[in-house]
Parts: sequence; C-alpha cells; structure tokens
Amino acid sequence: MGLKIFLISIKMVIVTCIFGFSMVLSGCAPAVMKPSPEVYRETPRESDEFEENAEKPGLSPRALAALQLTEQGRMFLENNQPDDAIGILERALNLNPNNGRNYYYLAEAWLMKWNIEQATEFNRLAEIYLNDDSEWLSRVILQRERIKERDQ
Amino acid sequence: MTKKKRSINITLKRLLKWYLPNIVLICGIMLVYCWYLSIQIDKRFSGRRWSIPSKVYSDTTILYPGQKTNRTLFNEKLRRLGYREVAHKPVNKGELNRSTSFIQLYLHDFIVPSRYKEGIPVQIIFDEIRIESITNLNTGQMLPILELEPEEVMLFFGPHRERRQLVSIDQVSQHVIYAVLAAEDRRFYTHKGLDPKGILRAIYTNLRHASIRQGGSTITQQLAKNYFLTPKRTFIRKLKELFMSLTIEVMYEKNEILEIYLNEIYLGQKASEAINGIGEASFFYFGRPVSNLSLVEAATLAGLIRGPNHYSPYIDEDRCQKRRNMVLNAMYEQGWISDEELKMALPLPVEAVGYASYGKKAPYFMDYLSEQLTVLYSPQDLSSLGLSIYTTLDTQVQMAAENALKRGLDSLEKSNPELHRTDPQKQLQGAVIVMQPKTGYVLAMVGGRNYSASQFNRITQARRQPGSAFKPFVYLSGLDKFTPASILSNETRTYEIDGKEWTPQNYEPIAEGRVSVRNALARSINLATVDLAMQVELDQIISTAGKFGFSTPLKPYPSIALGSFEVIPLELARAYCPFAADGVLSFPLALKEVLDENDVVMERRHVSIKQVTTPEKAFIMSSLLQSVVENGTAKSLKEMGIAFPVAAKTGTTNDYRDAWFVGYTPDILALIWVGFDDGDSIHASGSKAALPIWAGLMNALPQYVSGGWFRMPLGVVKRVVCSESGQLAVEDRCPHPIEEYFLADHLPTDHCRIHGDGESFGRIIDGIKDFFNKY
Repeated sequence: MGLKIFLISIKMVIVTCIFGFSMVLSGCAPAVMKPSPEVYRETPRESDEFEENAEKPGLSPRALAALQLTEQGRMFLENNQPDDAIGILERALNLNPNNGRNYYYLAEAWLMKWNIEQATEFNRLAEIYLNDDSEWLSRVILQRERIKERDQ
Repeated sequence: MTKKKRSINITLKRLLKWYLPNIVLICGIMLVYCWYLSIQIDKRFSGRRWSIPSKVYSDTTILYPGQKTNRTLFNEKLRRLGYREVAHKPVNKGELNRSTSFIQLYLHDFIVPSRYKEGIPVQIIFDEIRIESITNLNTGQMLPILELEPEEVMLFFGPHRERRQLVSIDQVSQHVIYAVLAAEDRRFYTHKGLDPKGILRAIYTNLRHASIRQGGSTITQQLAKNYFLTPKRTFIRKLKELFMSLTIEVMYEKNEILEIYLNEIYLGQKASEAINGIGEASFFYFGRPVSNLSLVEAATLAGLIRGPNHYSPYIDEDRCQKRRNMVLNAMYEQGWISDEELKMALPLPVEAVGYASYGKKAPYFMDYLSEQLTVLYSPQDLSSLGLSIYTTLDTQVQMAAENALKRGLDSLEKSNPELHRTDPQKQLQGAVIVMQPKTGYVLAMVGGRNYSASQFNRITQARRQPGSAFKPFVYLSGLDKFTPASILSNETRTYEIDGKEWTPQNYEPIAEGRVSVRNALARSINLATVDLAMQVELDQIISTAGKFGFSTPLKPYPSIALGSFEVIPLELARAYCPFAADGVLSFPLALKEVLDENDVVMERRHVSIKQVTTPEKAFIMSSLLQSVVENGTAKSLKEMGIAFPVAAKTGTTNDYRDAWFVGYTPDILALIWVGFDDGDSIHASGSKAALPIWAGLMNALPQYVSGGWFRMPLGVVKRVVCSESGQLAVEDRCPHPIEEYFLADHLPTDHCRIHGDGESFGRIIDGIKDFFNKY
C-alpha cells in the first residue's frame, strides 16, 4: 500500500515536470491536453440532436403502439404458438426497431421452434438493445445459456 | 262375353304383348341413364364443386396516435378496402364518415393467420397530417394501436376469370332465400325438379304480355343447365336437363340443391372478372356479407339472376329498381313479406356500394411473389384452391413508389428531351424497391415504368453496374485497417490489370491531394477509394460482397472499388440492410403466409437473419453514409424536403448509363435505379436522376419517418481528431478539429503531428503514454 502511494506521488511529480518542460518547448500554454470543444461542421450528428423529430424509445406513441404488438407476441408465446408470435413480433420490430424485448421474445420463439441459429442471432441483438437494463440483461444472459444448452 | 268386350281384350292383350316390353325397356333405359347421370352428378358434387381463385393480400395497416400520415394515400386505401362514405355516424360495418379533421370508420371484420378481428366503430382525429387520437366509438376508450384489414391485391384466376366466395345455406338470410324463390322458383320446396304448373303459368304470362317475362325452369333445372350442360337450346339438351333435374332431386336435399345453386349462379361482371355466387355478389353490389343483406338488397340480388348485366344497378338503376320491385311483389303474393314491408321497400332507391376496377396492382411485386408461389403450388392449384396468400406489401408505399418513379422519369425527360423515346419498349426506365432493413420485408417493388409495355423486372432480373453505390462495401472492408479519420491519397495513379494500364479518374476535379475516409466516401472520390481498395486487398472486398449476398461474379480487379461489376438491384438493396440493422443481413421477404379456404395455415415464412458484420462497423458505416447527405454528393436531398437524418449513397456509371440512389433510416430503405435497358447514356448522375425520386417517395411516406437515428453501440467511441491529419486533435492548434467515431479496439493513439509542433511534441506525449502504460 505504502509503495503504491509512493509510486503515484513519483508519477505526479514526473508528470508535472514533463508538462512544464513541454510547455516551454511548445511555446504555448494549454494546461491539459483535451479534445477541442470547437467542432467542425463535418461532425457526424447524433440521435439526440434530432429531438424535434426523434422519438425516445419506450416513451413515444409509436413505441407504445409497438409494445402492444410485443405484448400480443408474448401472449402467443405463452400459449405455445411460436409461429404466431414471430409473425406479430416481426411487425413490432418494424414499428420500433429499438425495442430490445422484441428481440428477446423472438429469440424465445425461435428457441421454441428449436432453431438455434436464429435464436442465437436474436439473443445477440437483444443484448445490444437491453444492455442498459440490468434486469432484462440478466434475462438475456440466462436465455443465452438456455440456447447453448439446447445446442448441445 | 260380347263381341265388343272380346275385341277390347284382344286389343289390350296385343298392347301388352307389343308395347309393354317397349315401355319396360324405355323405363329401363331411362333408369340406367339416370343412374349414369347420378354417377356424373355425384362425381362433380362430391369433389371440388368450384374453382376458387386464390387471393393475394397486402399486409395489414397499423395506425397509432402520433403517427404521421399521407391523407391522400390513406383515403385511397380506405376506398380500396371498400369503405363507403355516409353523411352520418357510421352504424354498419364498412361505413365511413369523413371531415377535414376526423374520420369515423366502422371497421370490417377480418381474419389474418391466427387472429380474428371483429369490426368496431372508431374515430380517428387528425392534427393536420398527424393522428391525434384513435377512439373506440362504442366504449369511448382511446386506442393505442389500430390495425386495418389486409387489402386484396390480386387473384390467381383460372381460364374463366371467375370471382366467387362460397357461402353455406345457414349464412344466407331468409330474405335472400325468399327473394330468390319468388324470382325464380316459387314452388321449389314442393316440386320434384320439374314444375308443370310453373311452366303453364310462364306460358300464360308470356302470351299475355306478348314477351318473355317468365321462364318455366325450376332452380334444379337451372342448376343442371349451368353446372353440367351447354347453354344451347336444343330438344336433346332440354331432355337431358329434365332427367338431370329429376336425378338431382332424388340424390340431394332441397337445401343442399339451393346452396349449390346460390353459389353457382352468375351475377354480374367486374371488368373482365365474372361475379359468381350470392356470396361474392353480396360484397360486389352492397359491400357486406350475405347474412347482413336487407330486404331490398336481397330482392335486388334475386332480380339480377334473370339478366345480371341487363338489370345491374351499375348499368341502369331504374331498370334494376323495376325488376327488384317485381321480386318484392312476388314475395308479397307468396305471403313472404307483409304489406307494411312491401310498402316501405317499394319506393326505396337502389343503392349499390360502387366499385373501382383496378388494373393489376403492384404487378412486378406480384410476379416476384408468383415465382415463389409456383415453387409451392401448381398454377392450377392457385387458380382453384381458394388460398389466401398474405404478403409484406404495403399498398400505400407501392402507390407512392409508382407515383414517385413516374414523376421523376417524366421530369427527367422534360428537362432533357433527348431522353424521350416514343417506342414504349425503348423509353427511359426506372426501378424502385422499398424494404424494412431489420426484417427484410419488401414493402414495395416497381420493376419498370410501364408493366403493360415491359414485364422485365429491373429490380429482380436486371444486372447493372452499381458504380459508386458499391463503394460502401469497399470502405467496410477497410474498417479493420482504416478509421473514418484515416487519410487516403487522392493522387492520380495508374494500375496494371491483366497487362493493361488503368488510370481511374474522379467524377469532378478535386484539388486536395489527401482526403479522409469520411470525406472520400461522402464526396464519392474515386481515386481515394481505389487507393483504399488497393491497401485493403481486393480479395477482401470480394469476400465482403459475398457475405453481403451478392450472387453475381466479381473479380479482383481494382475497378471493383468503383462498382464496375454487375449486380442485381434487389441484391444491392438487400446488401445495404445490414448497415441499418446492426450488421444483420435479412432475406428479402415478400410472402408471409398461405392459408387454405378453411383458414388453416399451409405455409409460413419468417424473417431469416444472419450476422455479416459487427454492430459497431454497421454503425460507423451509417455514420459515414450520413455524411453523404450532410456534406457529400446527396446534400441536395435537404433542399427537397428531407429534414430527417438519412444515410445514403449515390451511384453513377461510365457515360451516365446508370443512376443510382440508395438511402435509408432505421425504419426504411429504398433503392432507386434509372437508366435505359439498352445501356444508352441518360446524361445525368445518380444525384440528379435517382435522388429526386427517392426524395419524392419519402416525402409521400411520413408514416415511415420517425426521425430517429441509430444507437451508438458500446464498442464505438468518439474522439476529437484533426481533420487534416486524422490524428487526435491538439487544442488551440488544430484549426479544424472534428468529432469522429472509432471502433473501441481501433482508436487513434497519436496526436496531430501537423499542428502539434512536430516531432518533439509528439515524442513527449508518446513518452507520457509509455510511462503510464509501463506502470
């Protein structure tokens, strides 16, 4: 522990010295090397820049409408009707491609049909879209385990 | 015994001796003939009685509050779905009340695979082009989503082009049965196939009016004639009809005979299609099922049997009304309707629902679909089994695509009269395909300008050079080696191919000698693209193309970087989908389900996907292609009303033989091609010829524009780099720093060596990094 603190202190001293030296060499005085806040107009735009048109997944009427379809799909799954579930979940996916639950249920439906390849693909997509939802992410991981088990 | 009596006995004996055997023989022959007929009748009636054409349907239409709509296309859709306008709140299914700010609609019932939707009255309130709310008028409940029934798009007709919807006798209302009996055969339930009283009455009535007013044929006779015999008026045919009627009466119950008759009768014409059976006619004339027909409607239909086209309400309403009233009077005479009912019904006008006869809808899409269907079913099965075929087609998108292409090509010809050709076979052509990138749903397909002039499907059958529209696959192949900020050479170079020299040129002079990857793709710079391709290695590009589903042969020549090898437009559109779908390639899906006539699912197609690139690379490609619209060859898109984020690429081939535009958002992808079939120059680039068509199409489809963009995957990070060096920017030194996306495992590490005071500064920074890395 003591050695670690000593090393860090040494590092800080050396960094300070080097920076001082580099400022003299470069003839200018930026305190810290950081990306410039000024952004050239070529910068690629991000989704949040289109607030006027963009719809936040999970909140917009479009997402709500898609969730209705997702729910219908889930009901079909509960009734052991994977083909019907897939049909309706595909529509939900077209309506709101950002809803990770669609991918999760699609993976579930394909798993029910013993199509490991498609189940794996949709599970992977579910992970992408549900990675910020810990509860759902754990479901996705469990699902992946089940897919692997089925594959063996 | 007197002489007289004896002679009678002798005569009788002679008669018995000579005529009885003959009578017995004739009776025997008749019996054998009837037996023979019964076999024939049984054979026909026990098997498939009718050939029912299979019907192709579009996808259902989804509406939700907040959705933008194209009111014109939406209204046309409702009209095609058979909704009829009324001036009051709709009370019957299929009625529509419209104002500028709302639509009240009594939805039809419909069945799609595994789902039955019962029609409810709804109110859709619009705020200009946006749906403000959807309300169930029965309960007052706000609906978050509404699904409209699929639209009938095509029928697979047999040689007779007959439309027919089968109904069982239980579905037919009593009004209809009485009306038909009153019009055609009042004693149907009492005679045995032949009605002598009816014949005498018909003769009397016709003589009294000196014209043919009534026929003497019973319903059974008419059925025998229609089903088994030719319409020729000969004595032998009449005799055959008589025997057949008697046989049918022996073999079948009255209700069975009536049911077959009601399904068999010819009841009118919709353009070239024959309307057969009361079930089909009920929809054709009144837009509702036969079970829901009113008394006057039932009488109108029954009146049509005598002369469907002569008495058609679509031809002569007055004549139709007179005939209908004759039927109503006949019903009254039989005591089947009351005096009150008669008095109420007689003055009512004939109100047919109206119909629109359309040409073949989405013909190129249908050809594409038919190719897939004929692998599963023979043409004979398709024209007779009455299958219901559900597709991914969105008729609103299809209409928008057809309109946009037509306008675009007309406008091109107008701006350059040289392009105008009078011969329809040689005229300027174009093609459009619209897909949903995540699922591969084909929403619309226009394979040419005029289907009647040319059935060649330029989306699925053509092989054309993609030009610069192929470049994204070159840049994708290079993403392991290059970043969007990497610098490429824009110097003219000569390459040797099979012993021949090849010197690529830029589309227009570009002064810079070095350009970034982003800039090179955005501005479609040929020299920089070839430079990248040569560093990536051509086999790598071919491998990428193979993974993205191109089936046409590609060779490892440097010109591959500029799209010199022919591709199928459908495959090109499909290959762009993974960019919009987290790197997942989906199979183009047009056919969804096939149901038999009992609504049992026979065939089902689902989305089929496979990963062809990483979500991170797909995201970066979309970002690069967004620059094409922001600063590159497609920046004119913004001037055409496209205000939402789009990723796109233009394409132009040598001598302007082909003009391409492929553009997408997370929700929709469309490819446009313009050119001549014979390869003549169109004298316009992709951005001039194809881009405006894409813009026109998207402007007509607000329901597919969410305005959203792709989520940045975890494996992508942003860094500020110097636009000149492509290296990490140095604050207050780099004049044009830009924020750029990078793969997390392929980040720039060096700081700008152009503006960062050269070697010494770089060395210091690198030294610091090394120090930290060490400890």
